[in-house]
Amino acid sequence: MRMYLAALRMSYRRYRAYGAGNVAGLITNAFFGALRSYVFIALYQAQPVAAGYDLRSAVTYIWLTQAMIMPVYLWGWQEIALTIRTGAVATDLARPFDYFGFWLSRDFGRALYHLLYRWLPTVLTGLVFFRIHLPAQPITWFLFAASLVLAITISFCLRFMINVCAFWTTDIRGINGMVLLFVNFLSGFLVPVAFFPPALRVAAQALPFTSIISTPVNILLGQARGADALALLGQQVLWAAVFVAAARLLLQAATRKVVVQGG
Amino acid sequence: MLAGVVLYLRLAGAQLRGQVQYRVSFALQTLSSFTSTFVELVAIVILFGTFHDLAGWRVGEVALLYGLVSIAFGLNELFGEGFDHVSMLVRGGEFDRLLIRPVGPFVQVLASEVQLRRLGRIAQGVVAVGLAQHWLGLAWTVPKAFVFLGGVAGSALVFFTVLVIGAAICFWTVESSEVQNVFTYGGTELASYPLHIFNRWIQAAFLYFVPLALTSYYPALYILAKPDPFGLPGVLPFFAPLIGLAFFGLGLGVWQFGLRYYQSTGS
Repeated sequence: MRMYLAALRMSYRRYRAYGAGNVAGLITNAFFGALRSYVFIALYQAQPVAAGYDLRSAVTYIWLTQAMIMPVYLWGWQEIALTIRTGAVATDLARPFDYFGFWLSRDFGRALYHLLYRWLPTVLTGLVFFRIHLPAQPITWFLFAASLVLAITISFCLRFMINVCAFWTTDIRGINGMVLLFVNFLSGFLVPVAFFPPALRVAAQALPFTSIISTPVNILLGQARGADALALLGQQVLWAAVFVAAARLLLQAATRKVVVQGG
Repeated sequence: MLAGVVLYLRLAGAQLRGQVQYRVSFALQTLSSFTSTFVELVAIVILFGTFHDLAGWRVGEVALLYGLVSIAFGLNELFGEGFDHVSMLVRGGEFDRLLIRPVGPFVQVLASEVQLRRLGRIAQGVVAVGLAQHWLGLAWTVPKAFVFLGGVAGSALVFFTVLVIGAAICFWTVESSEVQNVFTYGGTELASYPLHIFNRWIQAAFLYFVPLALTSYYPALYILAKPDPFGLPGVLPFFAPLIGLAFFGLGLGVWQFGLRYYQSTGS
């Protein structure tokens, strides 16, 4: 266990040391947050409530999703695929710890960095400029924290599986692009799932992608409370279990065919 | 100049031949470029399923604007992506190699990337315009067609110029500045919606600093016969290509200026 905590800490430090690009990324997130907020402000001129969201909740939803991008690392994570291409993966696999656990710890270290240096400033920007609504009850924050950990776990497993595909295809950009398409749309990142037409909404809610963005955001927003929030958390636990198992199985299948050249 | 054009066509041709060699990969990447942007359009249509009206604009009108911008951005990605990689060349010291060749570095960088798969985004933009036509039943005239094509060309040039200026800044800073994303990806997002819904700082930035609104929103106003809430001259929509060219000239100036100050990273 100590080893995994050390991996987490090292990963956190590594991201903090190379944090120069973070400010630019923050500006981009904030800019998109502002643009989408203005779109909703204009849309809500005609009606005060839509799909269960009033204007303030909708704008808050926008900022919270922008804040989530980096903690769940939605786009283009290829670290493992790169080690597969360079062959460094052989060393990692030979190390005396669980390969999956090692990368999961590192990803939590990364996520911790992005929570402090990206999630927090993005939410604060929304709070200052768009007066977004944050909950006061500690229980909501507690549920959100649990939901966030599960979201990061599911997102990590998804990215892990995409990366492990590099054992077979080397170039994972094609697969990455196709999966991200689903993640972007079906997670409720582009539009809250509540706005979807009924059939599409049911499909989205049955799929795992809402567990990555929509669920933690709606819990913090107070759109899902009490029993609803617990049901959503239960769904996340289920998906996390399925995804961890699937990721481990895929890794097993992949390592069975590893051939290490040279030495 | 002519030699540069001939060389560009040769290098670009070689790139294209290379890309279509791997048919399956090319088809998948083009499809992915189409669908990944198509969901943005779906998202807009879904929002209009609930709201019907965006500050006086209907779904078809937004789709027209969105399509215009999407085609323009796709063109920019298709031809201009080499400039995205200049910071990598500068950091690795490889930019020096471009300087000792008998052709200017601008043509070399331009020819280094022609991403045919970006046709996916362009196709998606065309679909958006088709949907707009279906919903609105627009009566196209020669001036309207001219304004539309001019808007596409002008907007593509504005996007491209942002990339060129971003690349030129690397000559000083070495590191690429991701802030340009605000004007490229942020610009497509912004220009896909009518300008008058945004705050006046954002409006001013995209009218007078990076003139993307002049090359997209104004042509759309003309084609849709909508009044101009900012009261700018009525002939403005016809000048989109010229505005794009003027902005590009400015970018080229920054590039040349940066080139003179370029110092190798020396590794």
